[in-house]
Amino acid sequence: MIEITEHTRNVLLEVAKKKKIYVEGNILKLLKASKGDKEFEEYLNLCKEKDTASRKKRLSVTKQVQAQNKELAQAAKDNEQLLSDLQDALDEAKEAEKEAQKLKDEAVEDLDIMQKKSQFELIGMIVKIALFVICGVGIITTIMYGIALFSGHDTQIIGSTWSNMFGILLTNAFSIVGTIMGVKYASDKES
Amino acid sequence: MIDSILLVDDEDLFHLVFEDACSLLDMTLSLEALSSSDEADRLFKKWFVEGPIEDRPECVFVDLNIVGSSFDGIELIRKINKDYGNGVVIGIISSSDDTQEIEKAQAVGAQFWIIKSDEIEPRLEEFLKDYDGYKDRTSPFKVYK
Repeated sequence: MIEITEHTRNVLLEVAKKKKIYVEGNILKLLKASKGDKEFEEYLNLCKEKDTASRKKRLSVTKQVQAQNKELAQAAKDNEQLLSDLQDALDEAKEAEKEAQKLKDEAVEDLDIMQKKSQFELIGMIVKIALFVICGVGIITTIMYGIALFSGHDTQIIGSTWSNMFGILLTNAFSIVGTIMGVKYASDKES
Repeated sequence: MIDSILLVDDEDLFHLVFEDACSLLDMTLSLEALSSSDEADRLFKKWFVEGPIEDRPECVFVDLNIVGSSFDGIELIRKINKDYGNGVVIGIISSSDDTQEIEKAQAVGAQFWIIKSDEIEPRLEEFLKDYDGYKDRTSPFKVYK
């Protein structure tokens, strides 16, 4: 403990009376009044009361500021989280859009292939039927020409007809076979 | 009353809270507050290597997570206890009550764990009652909730 000199004591009391300035802080806890000096003892008690009051006030304000800071920090953290969630949602939406676009493209492609396939199948069927018709006509004409030959009828007209028709049929048959091969090649490639 | 206290905490506002709480509770007349564990490490190293060792604080309160420092409070306690000769009452003052961290702190020689909250004074008052036990190493590790 520190016991101060008479002069310092008087100066401190004078400053407190005239200017309302009091000693504060931890040094106050070290000051001690001389034995029987009631006036200075009261002064020290008043200083301590004032110091305690101001510390309490400061503590309360500091705690309020601290609490507000914590709330602000929490709010900032929440905002950050919200922004992050929004960004994630945006990324997911973009990803979903990409996926949908991909599926759409695939569906359009499939539809196109199916349309082409059915077109090729139709063409193939027409060509096959035409080939059967040509072959049928060829066989029937040949049978008729054969019957005319063996039965001794006049074969001049049917003979030239048969030879013309056979030439035409042969030409068309090669053309049809070529078409079938082309259709088959295209169908295989598409599938 | 504690002869001298060192607080290591990155939160400057808490320095003020702690200082006022200590003053109101008449805990100490000498309080120093640092914001980084590196700074505290340098000081303890200096006291241990160059001396005088008596300049060390009597009691050290360390925050668990010290932002802007190379290591946390638990590592600082380990360094002080293992590398710089021990000899101070030391513990954690943190808002965390993580059991694993508390166990880690105890393992490196922390003597107490005070949980920070709006009402720190009752905990410090209770700590002050147990202080003599920490000083002569008879009090067991305690968490002030």
